[in-house]
Amino acid sequence: MADQPTAAERFIQGILPENPVYRQLLGMCPILAVTNSLMSALTMAGAVIFVLVCANVMTSLIRNLLKPHLRIVIFTLTIATFVTVADRFLAAYMYQMSKTLGPYIPLIIVNCIIICRCEVVASRQSVGVAAADAVGQGVGFGLALASLAVVREILGSGMLLGFRVLPEVWPDWAIMVLPPGAFLTFGLLLGCVNWFTARKNAKQNG
Amino acid sequence: MQETELNVKSSMKPASSAISVSPSPHLANTADSTRRMMLDVLIALAPVVGMSIYIFRLYAVFQLVVCLCGCLLAEFVFVRMRGRKPTLMDGSAVVTAVILAMSLPGTAPWYVGFIAAFVAIGIGKIIFGGLGMNIFNPAMVGRAFVMIAFAGVMAASGYEIAGSTVDVVSQATPMNAYKMNGVVTPLINLFWGNTNGSLGETSALACLLGGLYLVIRRTASWEIPAGVILAVLVIGALDSSGTGWTALHHLFGGAVLFGAFFIATDPVTSPLTPKGKFIFGLGTGVLIMVLRLFSGYPEGLMFAVLFMNALTPLINRWTIPTPFGGKKQ
Amino acid sequence: MTMEATINTKKGGLQENYLVQAWLVLFLAVAFGAILAGVQMYLGPVIEQNKLNETLERVPALVLGEEKLQEMTAAGQHLEVIPRTIAVKKAGREKFYNVYEARLQGTPKGWVVKTKGAGYADTIELLFGLSPDLNTITGIFVLDQKETPGLGNKIVTDEWRGQFVNVPVDPPLSVVKTGASRPGEIDAVSGATISSVSVTDMINTSIGDLRQPLAEPPVQTEKGEDTNG
Repeated sequence: MADQPTAAERFIQGILPENPVYRQLLGMCPILAVTNSLMSALTMAGAVIFVLVCANVMTSLIRNLLKPHLRIVIFTLTIATFVTVADRFLAAYMYQMSKTLGPYIPLIIVNCIIICRCEVVASRQSVGVAAADAVGQGVGFGLALASLAVVREILGSGMLLGFRVLPEVWPDWAIMVLPPGAFLTFGLLLGCVNWFTARKNAKQNG
Repeated sequence: MQETELNVKSSMKPASSAISVSPSPHLANTADSTRRMMLDVLIALAPVVGMSIYIFRLYAVFQLVVCLCGCLLAEFVFVRMRGRKPTLMDGSAVVTAVILAMSLPGTAPWYVGFIAAFVAIGIGKIIFGGLGMNIFNPAMVGRAFVMIAFAGVMAASGYEIAGSTVDVVSQATPMNAYKMNGVVTPLINLFWGNTNGSLGETSALACLLGGLYLVIRRTASWEIPAGVILAVLVIGALDSSGTGWTALHHLFGGAVLFGAFFIATDPVTSPLTPKGKFIFGLGTGVLIMVLRLFSGYPEGLMFAVLFMNALTPLINRWTIPTPFGGKKQ
Repeated sequence: MTMEATINTKKGGLQENYLVQAWLVLFLAVAFGAILAGVQMYLGPVIEQNKLNETLERVPALVLGEEKLQEMTAAGQHLEVIPRTIAVKKAGREKFYNVYEARLQGTPKGWVVKTKGAGYADTIELLFGLSPDLNTITGIFVLDQKETPGLGNKIVTDEWRGQFVNVPVDPPLSVVKTGASRPGEIDAVSGATISSVSVTDMINTSIGDLRQPLAEPPVQTEKGEDTNG
């Protein structure tokens, strides 16, 4: 186990070098569905971080008891529990937001980022590493969601978090807050990220 | 109709390179270049453009200028970003610009045409690898984008400006007048084109003239327009439910003729074989009528063409010709 | 059993049992179930209250109008809102309406009806207010809609909704494309005739269904033959 990454490495990796969205292309469903406003993207990111941390810590605690052929059942059970807690909590204290996000909060259960982290990290490493990894991946996911949401909300409505950032004459690009806008924005941002990475690598190598 | 047939061979590579077997048209003449083809299309578009300027006056000129500037600028910027040789002079961007301008309402504000141009060239063409690689008709990609983005100015109501100095612009479009209020525009108006609508679509006569030129010059294949027109006429005849809106109204009204001759015939985004082209045309015509009759939109040409573009690889696969002496699969 | 035996040759009989192997799954399922039950017990009432409030909050403004509401709040008065469910038999099927009766110190001030129907893109859910005598529409509020952004979604704007304030119920509402002039005429949202028509249709239908049941004294679940609809 000596060559396993440490907590700090796990945390850093989650944010950019192994960003769940831009690098691993996981969690596409919320990326496309809830990024039409920054507020819902941030709420979604918050819910995912909560579930990810809880599930990772829980799985790490019981990692020595896991039977290989039953592990997925246990991961799903754990994740589903925390997702339900998050869903109820939102419905109770952020009712409007919970209505806006609709089915996408319960759908965190099938968000492959979480089950992937349980499998890769939490079921093999200590609680500390698992928690650091969860926070790193969660923040990376949150940043990716926020980056899309900023572009889409500004172009789509000229506003950000309810404040007008573009002048009144700005014609709202309604397509940006609709599903096609999500695909286009995500594709273009992904292209930009890849382009920057390629350029950075080329500089380092040459 | 933006591209040469040069890419055709690469997409249907034969297993052995000794003898190249490819479906017609066989390009023996290398002078038969993109540029000549684009020039042909522009000549064919001349009556349409002329008629639109005659009917819509400055509205048409304005849209043309906006789209030309947008498309050329976008082509220049994006091709440069990719570090390729400049392709401005091959004329494909000009053709996209003119078709795009002719498919927009003259009343649309400048940013609509400009953004549509950038989307058409950038997302419609360059992102797939440039000239000849695109899946969807670039002009229609651009138009679809602004249609959804700026629903207010692109929907039927956006075409009307009450009290405009140009008479037709103050009227409802024939398609919408029929769909919403059951008003039937006289066939003769639809034929000559003094009605409101997208700039290039109003005059059936101009579209027919330009289209026939393209077909005679073999720049566009006749199968696609024939398929579209046949499907529209048949379904239109079945639908003519005594409202006075006959199959001919369906054909001359809206963008059917303009689309059939100038948009659906783009060789890059339509099938390769004659049979495939006819299927493509039929499918486009059927979809136009389905959208017209059953959807909330008064016209369905744009979505019909985009949808059939997506089916083009499938149609190609269905209609692979059996080489002479070859076995049927 | 033979297959398992070959796999777990070293382990004893008890270890082969599926239930024993899955002890952790069973234990976690029970534990998590208990946690969720606790969460639901604690948060459930809050969520129910949220759902109710969403509608109830709108009732005073719909019945009285914003101005009167502010006057009243300044005077320290509050409306009582009594929710009722009314079943209407229509074409052999029962349709349920949520109706809220607003009263001020015992005197009826108006009704608010919750209704939904098909819009252009998806279901539109809305509330509309009626005067106590059921002859005037006092306002509408759109609770939920997914109409086309830029066109149909303008049905939520104050400007468009303003047309429904103090409109007589007779003649039924109708949508016109340009310049409503006669009573009961509503200007369509430009470019979104379908959304506009579905809203007015929903209101017309609901009023037709509810006029008789609401006019009757509130003895519910009578076999109210309804012929208005």
